Amino acid sequence: MTITGFIIRNVLRNKRRLVLTVMSVALSLFLYTVLQTALRELTQPASTEESALRLVVRHRVSLANVLPVKYQARIENLPGVDVCSQFTWFGGIYQEEKNFFPQFACEGDKIARLFKEATFDPKEMADFIEDRAGCIVGVKTMERFGLKVGQKITLQGVIWDCDPEMTIRGVYRGGIDETNLFFHHDYFDELMGNPGVVGTFWIKATSAAAIPGLIERIDRTFRNTDAETKTETERAFQLGFVSMFGNIKMLIGSICTVIVFTMMLVTASTMSMAIRERMRELAILKALGFDGLRVVGLIVAESFGLAVAGGLVGCFGAWFLFRHIDIYKVTQGFFLKFDVTPHILAGGMLIAAVLGAVSCAIPARTTLRMTIIEGLKELD
Amino acid sequence: MTTPMVQIRNLSRIYRQGDIDVTALDRITLDIHEGEFVALMGPSGSGKSTLLHIIAGIDRPTSGQCVVRAVDVATLSETELAGWRNSHVGFVFQTFNLIPVLTARENVELPLLLTGLNAAERRAHAEAALALVGLADRMHHLPRQLSGGQEQRVAIARALVTDPTLIVADEPTGNLDAHAARDVLDLLAALNRDAGKTIIMVTHDPKAAAHARRIVHLEKGELDEAPLATPS
Repeated sequence: MTITGFIIRNVLRNKRRLVLTVMSVALSLFLYTVLQTALRELTQPASTEESALRLVVRHRVSLANVLPVKYQARIENLPGVDVCSQFTWFGGIYQEEKNFFPQFACEGDKIARLFKEATFDPKEMADFIEDRAGCIVGVKTMERFGLKVGQKITLQGVIWDCDPEMTIRGVYRGGIDETNLFFHHDYFDELMGNPGVVGTFWIKATSAAAIPGLIERIDRTFRNTDAETKTETERAFQLGFVSMFGNIKMLIGSICTVIVFTMMLVTASTMSMAIRERMRELAILKALGFDGLRVVGLIVAESFGLAVAGGLVGCFGAWFLFRHIDIYKVTQGFFLKFDVTPHILAGGMLIAAVLGAVSCAIPARTTLRMTIIEGLKELD
Repeated sequence: MTTPMVQIRNLSRIYRQGDIDVTALDRITLDIHEGEFVALMGPSGSGKSTLLHIIAGIDRPTSGQCVVRAVDVATLSETELAGWRNSHVGFVFQTFNLIPVLTARENVELPLLLTGLNAAERRAHAEAALALVGLADRMHHLPRQLSGGQEQRVAIARALVTDPTLIVADEPTGNLDAHAARDVLDLLAALNRDAGKTIIMVTHDPKAAAHARRIVHLEKGELDEAPLATPS
């Protein structure tokens, strides 16, 4: 027998309590991991070298306000602009309200240049550009609804008073979002009676170095007009959407704190109970020659072991789960991906370790202060 | 005349209970020589267990000296005292106090975890101690699978395994039936007689005390030594 073996025997002495304690820590850290991953996915949208070059020009007041389409020519003439496309959020319903996926009216011939990281079949792209009422759809949305190239699709307008009927001309893969549907802005304008407005302009800059100057130039160009602009990077634009949910960081942070604190109370209570039941045995160990620190070491190791076991089950359980499920399907398109990063795992395990140390603090202090005589009296 | 193994001089132990001081031991002076088997007798509250605890280094005197093999136990720090107990004292308790999740052999091995012995040596020592108390065939049993008498013999094996200077036994037969009690007392007497172990036993049972070679009576914390007993 070894000290480690002795600790393991003690941990295993009440299997029901062991399972319940480990599971309570595991469940809490599973929730922590899920919340932290959700927070990361919401506040740190995926970014590529290409996406870093993209800018979004919108109305300065809000996204609900539109910009005159005539701005496009002036933007295209500014230095640092590689591509500029009209880009309007359609936000229609496909069959049922719950079938949400992003839909954009844009300039079909500029899509491939704007989203270089995505892969388009050249023939399908040519068909899409050719067909005024055509659309091109991301592979995830195609799979989600079992759509086929050549199939007709109708979107019911919610924001805009029109119901575009389109033919799917192609599928794109790759890029940071494989769920979008792109259709022609010309077709949208025609259905809307050529209002001469656009939701946003999406721009690709010639280089990363050109971006700060370009943002400043665009917004300066339209300053003191009826529709002043706000130009921002694609990443900042996406984060703006998240901020509409409120202070989500604080909300999730508060929930995580409550979870961790509750878990700490539960584990500390369990550890206290487990140790209180064994005061007599601890006194015997002291009588046999184990000094106070050695006995405390046994308690700390036991508590630490339980908490870390819970952490491993909870954090790595979440990691394993989200590696093997299609989060896009499960969340009906709300999350494109759900990567439990090493950073989040390390955070969860650190909490487990701290939990182990903190929850045994009171039992350890009691044990350290307990004299052998007091401990022996517990049994008599 | 040889120096006594245990020299107790003017030893007092006063407990504070609320505002009242309770004198458990009052200026006790006592010598115990190597190889003795001493029974400490007395009624409840006479201080016999307190005296045993101080000799064994699990309690400290309020005043006076308790010197065991030239070491004044009261002067040792808690850590030093723990190490001293491990090397010099073997405990036998009334309620056996075996660890329920460990087998008989593992319970006996427990004090050896603090020594420099390797796993194989610890195992060999534990098995030898169990063989000595006649439980070689029960070494893989958990305490709940043993009778009371067997549990107490495992406890004696645990007390013996480090080859201590002293074996202290606090009412070792208090929880046993007459037959098991006799076996345990015979075993302690044999360890004293054949292996030369110094044993100090607290008991209030005259039959148990009769197994000792010397009986020391305590009454209200004071010593009242009886004449040398003859083992039955």
